[in-house]
Amino acid sequence: MNKKIFILGGGQSALYAAREIRKNNIDVEITILGEEKFIPYERPPLSKDFLLDKRIDEDLYFCSKETLEEEKINYLNTIIIKVDFENNILVSEDNKQYTYDTLLISTGSKNRKLNINSEVDDEIFYLRNLEEAKNIKEKALGKKNILIIGGGFIGLEIASSFSQLNKNISLVEVGNQLMGRIIPNQIADLVKQFHEEEGNKIILNKTISEITKINEKYKILLSDNTEIMSDLIIAGIGSTPNVGLFENTKLKLDNGIVTNEFCETNIKNVFASGDVSNFYHPLYTKYMRLESYQHAQNHGLCAGKNISGIKTEYSSIPWMWSDQFNLNLQLTGICDDYDEIVERGKRIDDGIIYFFLKNKKIKGACGLGIAGKVGRDIRITSKLTEKNTIVDSSLLSDQSQKLNKLIQK
Amino acid sequence: MADENWIEVGSTDSIEEEDLIRFDHQDKTFCVYRLTDGFYATDGICTHEAVHLEDGLVMDDEIECPMHQGIFNIKSGEALSPPACDDLKTYPVKVDNDKIFIKIN
Repeated sequence: MNKKIFILGGGQSALYAAREIRKNNIDVEITILGEEKFIPYERPPLSKDFLLDKRIDEDLYFCSKETLEEEKINYLNTIIIKVDFENNILVSEDNKQYTYDTLLISTGSKNRKLNINSEVDDEIFYLRNLEEAKNIKEKALGKKNILIIGGGFIGLEIASSFSQLNKNISLVEVGNQLMGRIIPNQIADLVKQFHEEEGNKIILNKTISEITKINEKYKILLSDNTEIMSDLIIAGIGSTPNVGLFENTKLKLDNGIVTNEFCETNIKNVFASGDVSNFYHPLYTKYMRLESYQHAQNHGLCAGKNISGIKTEYSSIPWMWSDQFNLNLQLTGICDDYDEIVERGKRIDDGIIYFFLKNKKIKGACGLGIAGKVGRDIRITSKLTEKNTIVDSSLLSDQSQKLNKLIQK
Repeated sequence: MADENWIEVGSTDSIEEEDLIRFDHQDKTFCVYRLTDGFYATDGICTHEAVHLEDGLVMDDEIECPMHQGIFNIKSGEALSPPACDDLKTYPVKVDNDKIFIKIN
């Protein structure tokens, strides 16, 4: 009988793992159990090109249904309500049971929700999946004033998209800078300035005290008693790992599912990948949980290899991007552990990068430029970080010098 | 007389090894590469989103898009890594008297 592999969660990490498993194994049964009615699709365009009508549903799928059929990867749209790790059984909402030999958990993360008052809480929109993006797009039709709560990537990308659709945007962020969880303040300040030049109102250091619905509009009272009127409220205030199903089970949880560098959990034949996994990173020698496109993909591929018996360590340098207006922001590595900061470039048109070094080695870098102006240097930086290369900071700061020469082959 | 389909790009020393230059002709953008074994040409815009590949990183036979790290094989145009999924168009290249030509049509 063929070995049965089930993947819980129907996102990017699940799909890449499934395809990697199939590449290495002809005769296993692979089933993805996804809560969405759509086969796995790209999420980054939801807050950008999808809202701007530049891409539609069909453009977002990683691969077609036909490709999944050809590769014999089953996609079942179902909600699992119980995992029995003792007997290797998954139980669905409609009371079906699935017995696995190997289980990969790629359940991703879920939005944090605001708790303001019961009258308006259900009328605040969030954007994580295609259904929510469609809903927001529909609700925004004919609306002029939009309040965005949260100044992270998602809030700023939505602000950028709706600004391009000539809507009036107010964005309220509780912290003292935008994208404060991971982006250095030097770059965050440039992004703030750019949004303001495009007409978006960015309000830092404020919380929402009260929201009152008046006819079809909302009156928002901020913590400093200023008022904002809005036709639509969207919040992007972070996410938490989707682990509700595993609470009170023997699966080890700590800010997500704890995995080693091989995507293995504490339970034999149970793996985890993507946003939901708090994994051990051998280069940084610590556990981390990442929420990014690159991580979802590469961690899924790594899980797929390990499930196939190809022992593979996950040691990717974190990398993420955000596109806002015609700007492209990129981050590589970790920018909070340094003894030196080096600036490269002065103009966004040519790209500006801040490098964060410790003992003359780059630990992380963050850049901002028009379109792809910082991409090459950020990519080279990832390679330098990975190889722990000692770098000459005078070369990093001189934009007339190409960084390619720093890569040792 | 040169075949009229061959368009002059520039001199061979205008491109460093394992690097590229952007070449605009009429209303199209191309990238011309110098690899260890010769010169190659592709469309200049990534097939994933409209961004110029001139700012991308050339490593061995691959060009990586500077915006979202989609990777293409420079010689075949094949999309090797997501988010790129559509191949990049490639063009014949020849060198004559230290000048690079690409055949666009």
